[in-house]
Parts: sequence; C-alpha cells; structure tokens
Amino acid sequence: MALPFSGRKDGLSLSEALPDRSLFILVAMMSFLAALTLTGATGARTLSTRWAGGAAQLLTIQVSEPDQPVAGASKTDKTAPQTRADAVLTDLAALPAGTQVHRLTQEELARLLTPWLGDAGKTALPLPAVIEVRLAEGHEAPLDLEQALEAHVSGTVVEHNAEWSSRLRALAESLLACAALALATVGGIATMITALATRAGLSTRRDIIEILHGLGATDSYIAGRFAWRTGGLALGGALLGTLLAMAPLLLLFRMAAPFAASTLQATSTAMPDWRTLPDLLPGDMLAGLAALPFVAAFIGWATTQFMVRVWLRRMP
Amino acid sequence: MIRMNGVSWRRERKEGTPALSNLSFEVPQGGFRWLLGPSGAGKTSLLSLLHVENLPTDGTLCLLDKDVTTQTPRALLVRLRQRIGMVHQDFRLMPDLSVADNVALPLRLQHRPEDEITDEVHAILKWVGLGDRIGVRASRLSGGEQQRTAIARAIVHRPGLILADEPTNALEEPQAHKLLDLFGELSSMGTTVIVATHNEALIRRLPRPALMLERGRLVQDGT
Repeated sequence: MALPFSGRKDGLSLSEALPDRSLFILVAMMSFLAALTLTGATGARTLSTRWAGGAAQLLTIQVSEPDQPVAGASKTDKTAPQTRADAVLTDLAALPAGTQVHRLTQEELARLLTPWLGDAGKTALPLPAVIEVRLAEGHEAPLDLEQALEAHVSGTVVEHNAEWSSRLRALAESLLACAALALATVGGIATMITALATRAGLSTRRDIIEILHGLGATDSYIAGRFAWRTGGLALGGALLGTLLAMAPLLLLFRMAAPFAASTLQATSTAMPDWRTLPDLLPGDMLAGLAALPFVAAFIGWATTQFMVRVWLRRMP
Repeated sequence: MIRMNGVSWRRERKEGTPALSNLSFEVPQGGFRWLLGPSGAGKTSLLSLLHVENLPTDGTLCLLDKDVTTQTPRALLVRLRQRIGMVHQDFRLMPDLSVADNVALPLRLQHRPEDEITDEVHAILKWVGLGDRIGVRASRLSGGEQQRTAIARAIVHRPGLILADEPTNALEEPQAHKLLDLFGELSSMGTTVIVATHNEALIRRLPRPALMLERGRLVQDGT
C-alpha cells in the first residue's frame, strides 16, 4: 500500500534553509564579471601571441616619391629598376628565402588611409609606396637593412614592428596577469559567498541536522545534501550570468574585430556582420565561457562540502 | 550488550564535577533496565552517552560489542547510531515532514528499498494507532501523537538497543501500557532496552532491574 510521503525525504528543506535567491543572484553577477574578465584575458593572450609571433616578423617600408627614378641610376641600363619603389623591391628580393614581400596596391593603400584622409584615392597629397615584408619564421631582418635601402634609395623608411611588438607584448602580458588576478578574486568572492550562505543554512537547520545525525546520517550524506543544493544554485546563477555577458561581449568583439587583422592588406574599418560573428569568436574563449558555469558549480559544491564537514566535526 | 567501566562525562568547557562520574554497570543483550533518579541526576546525560551523542571523557564503554572512545572512527559511530533507537523527551521530529516520512527516516538513511520502507512504515504506524494520520505533518500532531510517532521511528528499523527518555509522558494510560508491553516483547526477542522514567505505576507493571542515578553517580547498578 502506498504511503503519502511528502517528497521531502529528510526534512532538511534546503530550499527554505539556504538564502537561495541571493546566492543565485550573487553568483550570476560574479559570473557576469568572470565572463567579461575571461574574454579580456583571451583578447590579451591573443594579442600577446600575435605580437610575439606574427607582428614581430613584419616590416613596413615606406618609399617616398615611389614612381620617380632612382637618383644616379644609369638611364641606358635597361635591366636596372626604373623607379624608386622597384629599386627597393629589387633590394628586398635578396632577403632570405621564404620572405614575403608585397607592395600595397592603390586600393589597399586607400582603404588603409580612409580613417585619416577620407577617400584617399581623391587626395592631392603625394602618397608613398608601402611595402609589407613578412619574414620567414625564425628569421630576423638584417641589421643594416635600413642603411642599405637608404644608401640606395634615399628617404626610404623602415618601420621595425619588432620593437613595438615587444613593448606591446609586455603590456598584453601585464593585462593577462591582471585578468588572472581578477578571475582569482571573483573565484575567491564566490567561495566566500557560498561559505556564508552555507553557514546561514547550517545555523537555521542546526536542530534538523542534529536529529539526522542522531538517526545515523553520515557526514557525507548531510554535506552532500547541502553541496548539491549550492552547486545547483551556482550552476544556474553562473549560466544566467554568462548568458547575460554574451550580449556586451559580442558587441565589444564586433567593435574590436577590425583591429585583429594580421596584415595591412586585411585591415578594414568595417565591422563584421552579426551573422558571421560567431565564426570569428576564438574557440578557446568560447570553451572558457562554456566551462564557467561548471567551474562555479564546482566552487559552490566543494566549498559547501568543506564547510559542512568542518561544522559536523563538532559532533561526535 | 552494554558494558560501562569507570565512565565519566564532563560537559565541554565546564570545570568541576563531571555530569556523570565513575559509572560501572553491564546490561546483557536482550536485557531491560529502568533508569531512575531525581531530575538533574544525569539520566538524560547517560542516555546521550549510550546514544553516542557524547563520548566518555574517562573510562571504557562497550556498546553492541563495539568499544566507544574519543578515538573511535566516525564511520563506526554512525553505524552504531543506526543500530540504536532513541525516543527523546522532546520527540525531536521533523516538523515539516509527514508522519510517514518521519518514521521512514532511519530506513532511508540505511538505503533500504522504498517498497520495503512503505511496508514497514505502514505496519508500525498502524500498530501505534496512527494509521489514519500518516500523511499529516508532524507539526500538526498532538503531543501524544508526536510521542507515538517518535516511538515508531525509534523501533521501525529493529535496532539492537532502544533508549527511551520518559517515553510515556504524553501518552494516555492504555497507550503507555501497550508501549511497555512492546518494550518487554522486544527485550525478550533480544533487543536491549533502557527506559528512563518517573512513572512508578509503569515500573510496578513491568518489574525489571533498575539503574539508579543520583548527582551523576550510580547508586544502584541494576544487578
């Protein structure tokens, strides 16, 4: 014969004992912050990697009056380069094998300068030729490259990205350390919030726990009941916080996307379309955001297990 | 079986005379003892020691063939508690749970199958006269009903030792006599029973050896 069991199997009634709503909301807020920080950290790491690798291998060379003949060049030698830009390109061909040399076309140059000059195609200003040099992996530009080009084609400017990239990399690594510190702080606060909520639950359920203890409930049973409850609340709160964080993150990422181009050729002031944005999001960032609710749930679960077990140690 | 040898117990952070002092007695398995003494003599303290809610500060205690000391592993203490049925003076029911859920607790904590729990709980509640109150919340029961629920919870898992602190206080005489008959029957079936009471009529109805306490000392050891 069935009995009218209430479904409240042990009387702990944790939904009433724990400050559910405040724990849920606080974890959601913490997760929102963590999601933003995690994204910042991912961005800083991506930039650091890029500056440590790709950008450091990149040289930008500007040749003024590119279509003018090279001063002092023989006009009778048909094999000699006819213009200053061609002369620089010829010199760059002597760089180690695997080096990619590309002179920006008028369209690429115009697109690059649009933010400063508007429609650069219609400007009356004399524009230099811009040559992008990507050195092969593990190679560095010859130390005397700038002097050699200057001696051959005067007024040629070589911009060494490596110098800036090391400074920017240091900056990115500092940002990364700050982000890690912020994440640790958020984790610490989440732990404290869970501990306080658990303590509140323990004090309101003290009598019930003593009865259960007297009836032969194990420490792991009581701690488990509390831990699954707080772990579940933390999971729900963190899911909400992470989902809420996605809106500003997507907006920020869309705004930052044009700056993430790896070459001058790919540089564009246009923001990517919303529909293509998910494909552009870094995989490790998405994995980190997906893991966030589970990490929050684990923090809640583990903190509560520890708190309850320590509290139960006061009983024989 | 219970064996105490020179057992003392002192409340935490309290100096001076221990609440229980140098107790030595033995109750064989299936034995029945009244626990007597004036208020404040230490009856409840002794029952809490026997229920392993507190541990002896001195002496040796052997319960159900297990030594109980401050060094005893917690897991063993838990298993011991699962083999003891305790009826507290204040019943200690879960107010939010139904009568059925309260009585089912010891069985659930031992992970018994749910259909077995249903059968056991139904049978015991019928026996204590609460067959028509099984779905009622404990907080809505009368004092007598709460006491009967507490008694049902203490015996539903057929413990090896039953401890009862004034178990008939809130019961009417016929129910008290019925309960006493049950305790006598359980004792004859091999369950050790210790009942603390002031009710002399009960003692006269079931004449059994008594442990008499005075100011935390045993003045009569039930032999």
